[in-house]
Amino acid sequence: MKTDVLIIGGGPAGLSAAIETASRGLDVTIVDEASQLGGQLNQQTQTLRPLPSVYEPMRGFELAYKLIEQIKGLSVKPLLNHRVVGFYADGSAGITDEENVFPVKAKKIIVASGAAEKAVAFPKWTMPGIMTIGAAQTLINRDFVMAGREAVIVGSSDFAMETAMQLMAVGTRVKAIIEKQSEVSAIDQEKVSELSRNGIPFYFNSFIKEVRGNGQVEQIDIELPDEVITLNVDLVCMDGGRMPILDVFYQLGCSFGFQEELGGWVPQYSNTFQTDREDVFIAGNAAGISTQGPLLLTGMIAGISVSEELQAIRSAEANEMRETLWKELGLLEYKEVYSGRVKHLENFTSPILKDQFIS
Amino acid sequence: MDKTTIICRCEEISCEEVEEVISNGGRTFDDVKRITRCGMGPCQAKICTSMVAEIIHQQTGLSLSEIPLPRMRMPLSPIKLETLATNSTSFSAVKSVLDDVEIEEGKVR
Ligand SMILES: Cc1cc2nc3c(=O)[nH]c(=O)nc-3n(C[C@H](O)[C@H](O)[C@H](O)COP(=O)(O)OP(=O)(O)OC[C@H]3O[C@@H](n4cnc5c(N)ncnc54)[C@H](O)[C@@H]3O)c2cc1C
Ligand code: FES
Repeated sequence: MKTDVLIIGGGPAGLSAAIETASRGLDVTIVDEASQLGGQLNQQTQTLRPLPSVYEPMRGFELAYKLIEQIKGLSVKPLLNHRVVGFYADGSAGITDEENVFPVKAKKIIVASGAAEKAVAFPKWTMPGIMTIGAAQTLINRDFVMAGREAVIVGSSDFAMETAMQLMAVGTRVKAIIEKQSEVSAIDQEKVSELSRNGIPFYFNSFIKEVRGNGQVEQIDIELPDEVITLNVDLVCMDGGRMPILDVFYQLGCSFGFQEELGGWVPQYSNTFQTDREDVFIAGNAAGISTQGPLLLTGMIAGISVSEELQAIRSAEANEMRETLWKELGLLEYKEVYSGRVKHLENFTSPILKDQFIS
Repeated sequence: MDKTTIICRCEEISCEEVEEVISNGGRTFDDVKRITRCGMGPCQAKICTSMVAEIIHQQTGLSLSEIPLPRMRMPLSPIKLETLATNSTSFSAVKSVLDDVEIEEGKVR
């Protein structure tokens, strides 16, 4: 199979890159192992803001519809329930539909493989009933399955706060938020105060000491600074942060740089979102953990750069559009993340050999 | 961290086993993998990579940027050999160690 642009990952970043490329007449293929497009947006019921100026604030799954709506009628072929498992010697992607592995040869590849959640290790954390916040969110919002009746949340990021509220909305009793640091890590204080108003205790400088249960979690001991308390719960949601999914880049032979603010090891790229392999571009959380507004912008920039490379848009016009989008990225993205991104770009264009990893 | 805490849930490798490799000089995820099987389970290290890096960091004081990524080989996620073998005659095998094997008249040269 041949295509102009192969997009790996059909989340918000992959979809916005598809809109930019396909609307300029390019032939686009999106491969995603999930059964529907939209990536993680499909289980996000919270209102997303700020989004790029072309979108008004809306809920995550509504944004997924909106993006999918825009590729209708364009030359975009979604390969759903398909996985990229590796690459052939000639650079074609090896894609499987679970019966066959076939090569897809693309002029340019955009990798928007998203992020993976990190677990938090404590004694018996592998027991049923203990899962990441994203897993709990997927169960309740996408699969309509109660994740548990009585829960605690380990960690206090924005994502953890959202998940706590969404669990409460479906009738789960959130009994505590446990944070090992001395303050919440969420930036959005509004959600934190809303949870406090609902009487949910925040335990700081605290961690889970022990978990008990017969075949599934039933009781936990929490080590507070000056005492140990016991709670009966059937759900523990852990928030260990997220990291870019890198395996596709590794197989493509891309170089990586370490950037704490972007989630650790991240493929290196320039301000056009081109990696050190000139046919490979990057977008979304794979290019650094951020929020949905900025992620859409990274997909748009990557899409414009690929359109330029394939001569679907003139360079002057591409430069101008990229400049506008980068400005908007600077406005929408959390300051630390944005400055991490700028540092990441600088380390690539003028390499300091430290903190770099070449696969 | 409690010694018995599981770090690699697929292969049931405990914190103690990871720490032992480090005290014997292990400094990378792949060092730990080669000695314990940590990372060789069905998830192919997707869950345990960051936890092992964290333990190496805590035990040795190396910063996380000095701990290299593990090798991520194809297949990127588990796949049936039967599926993988389909089509392999018309294309060079998906990037793997087989790329280095030269075949002449049906035999390895
Ligand atoms: C379960 C979960 C819930 C989340 N909920 C929130 C939330 O409530 N709030 C928040 O701020 N952030 C949340 N996030 C973070 C989320 O990652 C971002 O909000 C955003 O969706 C990322 O966009 P993306 O396009 O970069 O990646 P994604 O939306 O993850 O899209 C990447 C796509 O790539 C596909 N893919 C990856 N590798 C391959 C391969 N080898 N072959 C084929 N397909 C592949 C995946 O199936 C996926 O659909 C969540 C993350 C997770 C994991
Ligand atoms: S958790 Fe280590 S291989 Fe899956």
